[in-house]
Amino acid sequence: MVKIFIDEKSFEVEDGITVFKAAKEAGIAIPHLCYHDAFPPEGSCRMCLVEIEGLPKLELACSTQVRDGMKVFTKSERVVEARKGVLEFLLAEHPLDCPICDKAGDCKLQDYYETYGLFESQFREVKEKREKKAKIGKNLIHDEERCIICKRCVRFLKEVTHTQELGIFERGIHTSVNIYELLPVDNNYSGNLAQICPVGAITDTDFRFKTRSWLLKKGKSICPLCSRGCNISIEYHPGFPHFQVPKKVFRIYSLENPDVNGFWICDLGRYGYSYIDENRLDRIMIKKEEQKIEPTWEQSLQFIAEKIKGLNFLKKTSQIALVLNTWLSNEELFLIHKIFKSDLNVESIFFADRPQSEGDDILLTPERSPNRRGAQEMGLSIQPVKLETLATKTRLLLVFGSSIQDQFSSSDIKKVLDKIETKILFASHSNDLISFFDIVLPTALIAEKGGSLTNVEGRIQKFSPVFEPSGDSLPEWMMLADLGREFGINPSFYEQLKTPEAISIETEKEIPFFREKK
Amino acid sequence: MSPEFSEKIQKKIKEIVARYPQKEAAILPVLHVAQQEFGYISSEEEKQVAGILGVKPIRVREVVTFYTMLNREPVGKYHVQVCSNLSCSLLGAEKLIDYLKQKLGVEPGKTTKDKKFTLSLVECLGACEQAPCMMVNFEYYGNLDKKKIDKILDDLK
Ligand code: SF4
Ligand code: SF4
Ligand code: FES
Ligand code: FES
Repeated sequence: MVKIFIDEKSFEVEDGITVFKAAKEAGIAIPHLCYHDAFPPEGSCRMCLVEIEGLPKLELACSTQVRDGMKVFTKSERVVEARKGVLEFLLAEHPLDCPICDKAGDCKLQDYYETYGLFESQFREVKEKREKKAKIGKNLIHDEERCIICKRCVRFLKEVTHTQELGIFERGIHTSVNIYELLPVDNNYSGNLAQICPVGAITDTDFRFKTRSWLLKKGKSICPLCSRGCNISIEYHPGFPHFQVPKKVFRIYSLENPDVNGFWICDLGRYGYSYIDENRLDRIMIKKEEQKIEPTWEQSLQFIAEKIKGLNFLKKTSQIALVLNTWLSNEELFLIHKIFKSDLNVESIFFADRPQSEGDDILLTPERSPNRRGAQEMGLSIQPVKLETLATKTRLLLVFGSSIQDQFSSSDIKKVLDKIETKILFASHSNDLISFFDIVLPTALIAEKGGSLTNVEGRIQKFSPVFEPSGDSLPEWMMLADLGREFGINPSFYEQLKTPEAISIETEKEIPFFREKK
Repeated sequence: MSPEFSEKIQKKIKEIVARYPQKEAAILPVLHVAQQEFGYISSEEEKQVAGILGVKPIRVREVVTFYTMLNREPVGKYHVQVCSNLSCSLLGAEKLIDYLKQKLGVEPGKTTKDKKFTLSLVECLGACEQAPCMMVNFEYYGNLDKKKIDKILDDLK
C-alpha cells in the first residue's frame, strides 16, 4: 500500500495501480474516453490529464502509476484548462450531429463538453466530409466523422474475440477505423462494439433511429438465452403500450460482472429480446368442455388443485405427469420438487427445453436455457419427454413451457394429449399447442418476475422484476405456491411462501447445494 | 499473380523476425525488405508479409497506410516526396508543391507517363532545419527554391 493525495485528501491505495484507478476507488471521477476497464491503458485521447506535483507537464491518469507520497490534482486550473483544450481538438473535426445521433444521452464526448467544455470553438475551417454510414458488420454502422480514434473497438476485436476485423488506417486527419477488404465484423460478440464506442461512431442498426436513450428506463436482469447467466440491463420504454411506442424493449446492454460475463454479452443475448414483446399469451384460456369454470386465476388453480386432490385421495398420483423446462427459476423448481416429488410422489417428471446449439469459448454455452444446473442440483433428473409413456397411464398432465413442440410434431402431440383426461399448459407465448389443452395459464418471463438461477458454473444469481408481467400473466412460483396451499397436504408451509426470497430460504434449508453456495 | 519472396529474402526476414519479442513489431522492417524486393506493397504483398509473420493482413495494412514511405502502388524511377508539414509550409512549401505539380505535370500521388517521376506529399521529414525540403528516393534536399528544384530534377536522368 502507498499513501497518495488526490485533491489534497489522502488515500491509502494498492501499490502499482494507476492514478485513474486510485481516483476511482476514492470516488473521484476522471474524464476518459479511450480508457476502458477491460483493456490496458491506451493513452490516446488525452482526456484524463491530471496535474502531479513535481512534474512539469500534466500526466495521463489512465497510464500513470501511483507512487508513495504522490500529490495529484484533478481539478486544478491547469487541468480544467487542459480538458477544454483536449475537447476542442476532439471536436474540431466532429460533426456535432447529436440531434440525430443514437449515442446522444449516453455519449461521453457530449457529457464532457457539457461538464468541462462549454467553449466557443476557435476552429473556423470547414470540417472534412467523411463516410457517415459504412456498414462494417451485420448490425453495425460506422460514422467516420464521429470517430475519435480511441481504438476501443479495435482492441476489443483483438483482445476479446481475437477476430481482428477492424483496424486503424492512414494517418493525421485521414485516420480512420475500418474493416479490411470488405470483410465485415463477424463474430458472436459484435454488438458489444456499439456499446463500448464512447461516442456515436459505431451504432447498431437494431437500435438506430428507433428511440432516444433518455426515454428509456433500465432494469438489471439476467440473460436467459443460454446457461452462462450474463448480467444485463434491459432498456425499455416505460410508456408502452402507447400508440407512438411500437414495442416495450428497445435494447439489451451488458452489465459488468467479473465472475460471470466480465464486461460483455453475446449477440444472441443482445439481439434476442423480441420474445419479451411478441406473441405473448396474455389471458387465461379455458376449453369449451370446462366452461363451468371462469377464466380467473382463482378458479383455474382451484380446478387443478381439485384434480390433484382427487387423484391423491385415490392413491393414484402416479397418474400425474409433468413436463418441465429449465427456464424455471430455482424457487419454482424447488416448489415443483416439493409439491410433486415430496408431497405427492409423482414419478413421471420430464423436461422439454429448446434444443442445444453451438456454444463458443468466450461466454455462449450450448444450452439454450438458463437453469439446467439449478434443476440438476435440485435433484430433478433431466429426462427427455417420451410421448408413448405419457399416453399410457397419465390422467393429469401439467406442461410448463412449449418446447415439446421443438421435439415432436403438433399432430403427434395432439394424438397423445387426446388420450389424457386433463391437461394444463403454463406458457408465456401463444402457439399451436394451446388448443390441445383444457386450461392454458399465461406465465411471466424472467424479466417480469423475481427469483434466482444457477448458471453453468454453479453460480446462483438473483434477479428482480424489471417490469410488470404482460397482460394477466403471473410468475410460476406464485401459481405453484397457491397450488401447494390449495391441494392441502401442508397448507401452512405454502401459506408463508409469499415472495421468491421466502422460497429461497426454504430451498437453502432443504437442499445442501443451495445452502453451501449461498 | 501473387508475388513470392526469394529464398534469400525469406532468410533475411527470418533474421529480422528473430530480433523482436513480438511478431507484430517486425512488420515495419519486413515491409522495408518487401518494398526493396517488389518496389511497392499492394494488397498481395501485404498478405505475403502477413503470412510470413503469422499476423492478420489487417495489421500489415495499418502499418502500410500509416507510413508514407511505403508505396502502395508502383512508383517511378525517382520518387519525389515533398514535405507538407508545418515548418516547411511556413517557409513556402505550398508554392513549391504547386511548382512541382506544374513542372512534372502530375498531381501528388501520381506518376509521370514516362514512369520517371512520382510526386508525393509527405509529413515532416525530420529535417525542419533545412525547410522547405524534399526527398528523392533516399536523398535529402533542403532549403529549396524553384531554381534548386530545377537543378535537382534536371540532374536526374
Ligand atoms: S469507432 Fe468508436 S470505439 Fe472505435 S475508435 Fe472510433 S470512437 Fe473509438
Ligand atoms: S452468453 Fe448466454 S447468457 Fe450470455 S448473453 Fe449470450 S446467451 Fe445470454
Ligand atoms: S483515458 Fe487516458 S488518454 Fe484516454
Ligand atoms: S516540417 Fe518539413 S521537414 Fe519538418
